[in-house]
Amino acid sequence: MGFWWVFTRLGRALLTAWGIASAIFLTVHLLPASADEFTLGEPNELGSAASLRTSASRQAAQQALRHRLGLDEPVFYLTRTTGPPVRWQWHGRHNQYHHWLSLLLHGNLGYSYRTSQPVAALLGAALVYTTPLMALASTLATGLAIWLALGLVNSPTAPRRWQTVVRTLLTGIQALPLFSLSLALLLLLANRDLLNVLPADGMGADYPPLGSMAWVVSYGTHLVLPLLSLVLAVLPQLTLPLEAALRQELRADYASTARAKGLTSWQVAYRHALPNALLPLLTTFTGLLPTMVAGTVVVEVLFALPGMGRLLAGAAATHDYPLVIASVLLTAAARMLALLLADILYFWTDPRLRPS
Amino acid sequence: MSVRWPAVFFTKVPHQLALGWLALVVLAGLAGPALPLPYPPTTPDLLHIAAPPAWSGPGPLHYLGTDPTGRDVLAELLFGARQLLLLSLPAAVAATLLGALAGGAAGFWGNRGLAVPWAAVPATIAAAWWVAELPQRLILALSLFAISILLLKSNRWLSWRYSASASKATLFFPLDSLVLGSATLLSAVPRLVLVMALAAGPPLGTGGLLVLLLLVAWPDAARLVRAQMLRVRTQPFVEAARAAGLPAGRIWWRHALPHACRPLWAFAPLNVAGLIGLESTLAFLGIGLAPTASSWGRLLSTLPQEPTAWWLVAGPGLALLFTLLALQHLASWLSAKQHAEQLGPN
Repeated sequence: MGFWWVFTRLGRALLTAWGIASAIFLTVHLLPASADEFTLGEPNELGSAASLRTSASRQAAQQALRHRLGLDEPVFYLTRTTGPPVRWQWHGRHNQYHHWLSLLLHGNLGYSYRTSQPVAALLGAALVYTTPLMALASTLATGLAIWLALGLVNSPTAPRRWQTVVRTLLTGIQALPLFSLSLALLLLLANRDLLNVLPADGMGADYPPLGSMAWVVSYGTHLVLPLLSLVLAVLPQLTLPLEAALRQELRADYASTARAKGLTSWQVAYRHALPNALLPLLTTFTGLLPTMVAGTVVVEVLFALPGMGRLLAGAAATHDYPLVIASVLLTAAARMLALLLADILYFWTDPRLRPS
Repeated sequence: MSVRWPAVFFTKVPHQLALGWLALVVLAGLAGPALPLPYPPTTPDLLHIAAPPAWSGPGPLHYLGTDPTGRDVLAELLFGARQLLLLSLPAAVAATLLGALAGGAAGFWGNRGLAVPWAAVPATIAAAWWVAELPQRLILALSLFAISILLLKSNRWLSWRYSASASKATLFFPLDSLVLGSATLLSAVPRLVLVMALAAGPPLGTGGLLVLLLLVAWPDAARLVRAQMLRVRTQPFVEAARAAGLPAGRIWWRHALPHACRPLWAFAPLNVAGLIGLESTLAFLGIGLAPTASSWGRLLSTLPQEPTAWWLVAGPGLALLFTLLALQHLASWLSAKQHAEQLGPN
């Protein structure tokens, strides 16, 4: 596995991220009813726009705002005017796409339409909440899936009752969308009438300062329900394939040999079958990322955590394009890097797969 | 997805139950507007806000209660089923068809199977120039068209003069790379994030949302059919059809594609289930649809306003759970049936 292989894969990953972000940029900016009206129409978001009475002064304010946000420029290098006669116009470098791209190449993700803050700062502040959540959920889910799968295959004759129950539950959970699962948890564990053991009200204004001990405690208790939802959501898609792979490995000859030399069934499964069963599932485990990202959107909106998912949902609802596009770019880059990581792990663990 | 791992629970439940539930949902969706409902789904009853289910009392009753804006839960449930029929099902069918065609073509012809004469390039540019109404379209399109005819003639002449193979002067259309590339591009971001980002613009109607769901759902079907097509392409019956001199398009359409699409039958219910899940998640987050549209997801999203109102979750939650389980059961039943067919009648 040479340097060039990694380099080309990395290049392709970045190209894909750029491609999807550009496609979304052009789509949302070129859609017929230009969306800046929606942003500008909403009161108290952009200061004085709503308080102005006369339509003339409001129009002037909107024009000024469009100019400040750069929305009065053409969207792309080349634009086409509708209506007869159709005209094509070349705008050179003075267009929104070029500005976005050149800012991006300088490491600047742009500025939020709504708050005028740098997008990178907003994303950074949100990632402080989301990254630990996703890392914890992935680790927990992986560990739990391995443990459950080992337990599920460990039945010499007929499946035991708890195994049937667990398998049924897993299949049922797999069918449900994440948000209904979280709602069920919310109704069970944070309800005034039933158990009210966990906070679900989100992190409000009286939140302790970042980094202190009180913050860790508060963050921890607020994290339990989202964490539980995320782990439950990804558990079936990890456990069920792993169980099938383990069953297949346990039918192999080397497992019989291990059994014949007197190992317990747990030792055979854990020591001998598990490493081989895990190998084809590396993609599944690194493919957790998209599920997790989509999951954090739902979970953070529902449990009111100030993370990346809620930022994206809020930005989508208020047409804050720079924030939306930066989030997409970040997600796509992370996903592509995870895929690359999966391939490298494959080659590292199994030399037979290395490209010649 | 769990096509291959049906739990014991699912083998015990007869598939008639699953089919019966799905038929009920379809019937509710179709008959929704014709039913004599005491309350229409979109007009709020402001006297009863977040009222629990009532079965006795004066006046028309809210049999399943109302939500925090005073809308009748029963009517919302029925019209939510209609949403599935109008949005998720057509999107899933269209995505499966598009995926089958794109994936089937990509697998059959690959990157070097579809040879186009070089003359097609200026002709295509001329057509695009004409359609897009670029400047001087009459002169430029005509001259490009003339160049393509000249190329065609010269190619014929060269092959006649030097008896060289015509394949030297053809362009291989990279169909496989094109389909796989766009599928990779679309699945670079999780479905939900992609739909959210594209729906960030002006509000979409049902049609716009349909196109959006189609866009995010076709790559899965395309990958499945492409992988199957790579196997089917090398089968003896395809070679026999080639040897018999049938045109490639006919072999693809009549012989190879029906076989390559076989795994789709078991995949289609899962695709529908995935899109129902996505649609209800979008409605739950309040993205894409108008706030007055009825949907099970929208009904579920009102729970945080009234955390103790169990009737807001019970109806739509159970309906969603039953529908998705029924679809999953249908998928595993179809896949088991197909597997048995492949093994043969003995």
